[in-house]
Amino acid sequence: MGSERSDNPPIKKFLATKRPLANNRRVTRKAANPPYAFVMTLKPPPLPLALLLAAFGVPAALLLGLLSGSAGWGWPSEEILWLIRVPRVLAAFGTGAALALAGALIQLVTRNPLGDPHVLGVTSGASVGALLMLLLAPAGLLLAPELGAVLGALGAMSLVFALAWRSMGRGLAPSAQPGTVIVLLVGVMIGAACSAVVSFMLAMANDLQLRSIVFWLLGDLNGAALWWPVWVAVGLALLLAWPRAQELDWIARGDAWAWTLGVPVAKRRRIAIFAACLATGAAVATAGSIGFVGLVAPHIVRLTGLRHARMLLPFSALFGGVFLVLADTVARTIIAPAQLPVGVISASVGVPLFLMLLLRRRA
Amino acid sequence: MSLRLENLRLNAGGKPDGRSLIADLSLSMNPGERWVLLGPNGAGKSTLLVALAGLLPPNAGSILLHGKPLAGWPGEALARQRAWCPQFWLDPFPVSAWETVACALFALHPEHSAPAVEALARHWLSEFDVDHLADTDVRMLSGGERQRIALATACAQGAPLLLLDEPSSHLDWSHQALLQERLKRWSADGGTVLTAVHDLNLAWTLATHALLLDGLGGAVHGPRDDVLQADRLSAAFGIPVSMREENDARWFRVALENPL
Repeated sequence: MGSERSDNPPIKKFLATKRPLANNRRVTRKAANPPYAFVMTLKPPPLPLALLLAAFGVPAALLLGLLSGSAGWGWPSEEILWLIRVPRVLAAFGTGAALALAGALIQLVTRNPLGDPHVLGVTSGASVGALLMLLLAPAGLLLAPELGAVLGALGAMSLVFALAWRSMGRGLAPSAQPGTVIVLLVGVMIGAACSAVVSFMLAMANDLQLRSIVFWLLGDLNGAALWWPVWVAVGLALLLAWPRAQELDWIARGDAWAWTLGVPVAKRRRIAIFAACLATGAAVATAGSIGFVGLVAPHIVRLTGLRHARMLLPFSALFGGVFLVLADTVARTIIAPAQLPVGVISASVGVPLFLMLLLRRRA
Repeated sequence: MSLRLENLRLNAGGKPDGRSLIADLSLSMNPGERWVLLGPNGAGKSTLLVALAGLLPPNAGSILLHGKPLAGWPGEALARQRAWCPQFWLDPFPVSAWETVACALFALHPEHSAPAVEALARHWLSEFDVDHLADTDVRMLSGGERQRIALATACAQGAPLLLLDEPSSHLDWSHQALLQERLKRWSADGGTVLTAVHDLNLAWTLATHALLLDGLGGAVHGPRDDVLQADRLSAAFGIPVSMREENDARWFRVALENPL
């Protein structure tokens, strides 16, 4: 075995050498630390297994979503099926996929396992955008809150990155510790600022507007108007980020180092952020602000052994979609005939998981 | 393969108003040479390495690789010429050691099949005596083990010029010796090595040439024995360094005035 390249004598000769020393004390590491230790033991070819799971899990979740309703389980009438259930299940899947994809991208690009569109304030920014349009746009303007959500998401994300850019190593500077913590804190601050703006708008709104505002804030699929824009956004985001997904992995390992390997880091980062914003904005536009899908989904996908961005991105999207369809199914049925906002269910799963990940990291 | 610095000026952080680290430095590094980069903490060793890697444009002067300014090199062509191994690594996500090494191979050798890349990555791990940890999560390794994986990664890149930032800082003696052995072979095979080191004795045995920064803009460079002298080291580090010569070898130690 050796390098096939002939233009590099150092390597070729180097390969022929034998290890001269230091062979005596080699300790093989087995599950030394609890966090994630079992990830490495999950060796079985995860891809076929994951494909199999996805092939069964996605239709199963969709079917489950279609079969459940506030009136009980069972196959609904054709009218209800096509006018209510199908759009809703599709909207749920698309929203979950968009949030999970955005989360995976943000985690890679900020090199932070706790990254998430919600934690970074993007979701709050999208809410502000949507609410602004709701309050200020002339009536009859088609999809005004949806457009506002996309713009708000882009605005919040740009603000986070503009503020945290220096601490992230001035783009590519020699700084050894990229300020991932700073990015996170800046995101939390932007989110807090957006919440304040939302409170202000709540105070200013009239009763009629309040109803639709609450929908945006709770994260509810009940009022999802159109299911397909978020699918388009997910498709576009994948199209933008997936072809060079491998390079995102290298950036996650060290952005300056990735640059020395010839990766145009700034460009990749910008594209990934744009894709994440697009997906988040579309998700918020469809279902309001739903937290923690973006945080949790990529981690669970990683735990199955699909660690590389090339696998992580599409499978996070699939898992996020399935997760939100199931969460929405629970939300619709758990206190039927009343319905819970899906954000309640996703947060009640997501918050404990987030805390667990955070606390185990320090262990 | 040669690297030339011409009237190089570097300020802290690359800022025009930053503290001056290197005022005016001209030198060339040639194949077969092993350069050690010495100087007190904060003298600009890492900054110089980062600048030579192309990550930081110099404040003045130029860095020429094969006679062509560094900024004029396309990223991938440059990656085939020089490998940069930073001082710190932050691994946010689970990844095995061999996959870390494989990054460099995937990036620069798309022609290799996946099994060939894995075999090559494992080979480089064995070169630095960490092949037994190939399937371990890099976040669970000790500092020295992580460092050896970083060195394997840098070598796997296959670029003749190695820029290493304190590669021995976490290594035990046996692996310092292994590193030395590897770097000597690297240069004997036509590669060039520039490595920041703090251990003066290691520096002396490792180097053919040395570059000593004083942290105030001044720099002394040249063949090892000219630079690694007690008076120069004492001046640069601000403490009395004594030197002993024995069997053509030099030994350095701090000459404490009031040993406890």
